[in-house]
Amino acid sequence: MRNFRRTIRILMFLIVGLFLHYVMPQQDIARVTSTEIIRTDFSTFNRMFYAQADSGSVENPTRDLRLINTERKATYLFGLIRGGNETMVFRNEDTGWIYPPYFKFDSSDLQAESAASISTSEPQQWVVITHYGWRVRWASIYPNAVSIRDAESEDFRPFPWVNLIIFIAMIIGLYFLRAMWMQFRERTVDPLADKVGDRMDHVSADMSERKGRISRWLGTWRKK
Amino acid sequence: MKFVRLIVFGFLALSVVYLCISLYSRSIRREKLEDEWDANPPADATPDMRASFIADGMAVYESGLRKKLILLVYVIPPLIVAAIIYFIN
Repeated sequence: MRNFRRTIRILMFLIVGLFLHYVMPQQDIARVTSTEIIRTDFSTFNRMFYAQADSGSVENPTRDLRLINTERKATYLFGLIRGGNETMVFRNEDTGWIYPPYFKFDSSDLQAESAASISTSEPQQWVVITHYGWRVRWASIYPNAVSIRDAESEDFRPFPWVNLIIFIAMIIGLYFLRAMWMQFRERTVDPLADKVGDRMDHVSADMSERKGRISRWLGTWRKK
Repeated sequence: MKFVRLIVFGFLALSVVYLCISLYSRSIRREKLEDEWDANPPADATPDMRASFIADGMAVYESGLRKKLILLVYVIPPLIVAAIIYFIN
């Protein structure tokens, strides 16, 4: 039983962790090499890793997808360790009004900005690309670029302030929820449970007394 | 259409949050009043006096600023959303 509970707990932790890793913003140091638009036919599996059509347009099964091709600094361990250069392709879609709550409507502008910062010859121009999502090659899934700004240098390491604020807010929220739950238990559930338990005691005492009476009455019919 | 959905479901979710917080806050206030009375009750205290003391305290709470502050639940998230929209776009 304890192993079962532990497994469930680890699974929950993994799911929440993966979800947060997917939707939380990350900042990459990258160099835009080109931008392009490809026609995309979604499969039922990878559809959920894409946003919807531009927020003013209508949704169709097939549509064009803006891509930003870059070379970026590889990072490991949530950005703590920096590796060499690697290729990364970002998609550039409106997130719209619902999920994930980036409220991004300016994909076209972002595409223009990234086209303006294309840098293929020396001296190279590095930018910070804020994005969320994963690159999964076998399922053709791309991270979604949210914003782009100039990096001071190739070795610039942006600090994830937004993530820090979100995590602090989430921890405060969790403690608040816990306090609310404890208060609810202490003031509402426990007194109620006490009352019910009390009544149960009365009933069972009553029952056993009655049973005692019946068996005593039955006993009078037994042979002595 | 998505915007309408956001408004409707956001309003519902915030209403749930508002309800929970106001119940919680009321419960905390009542508990504090009870504790305050129980800490040093007057010599000739009766259960009726205790109940009326708590009722008075709750009446003060119901008309106080603290309760109105909970309405910020409806104000802050839209402000955050507006800020995100401003900074992202």
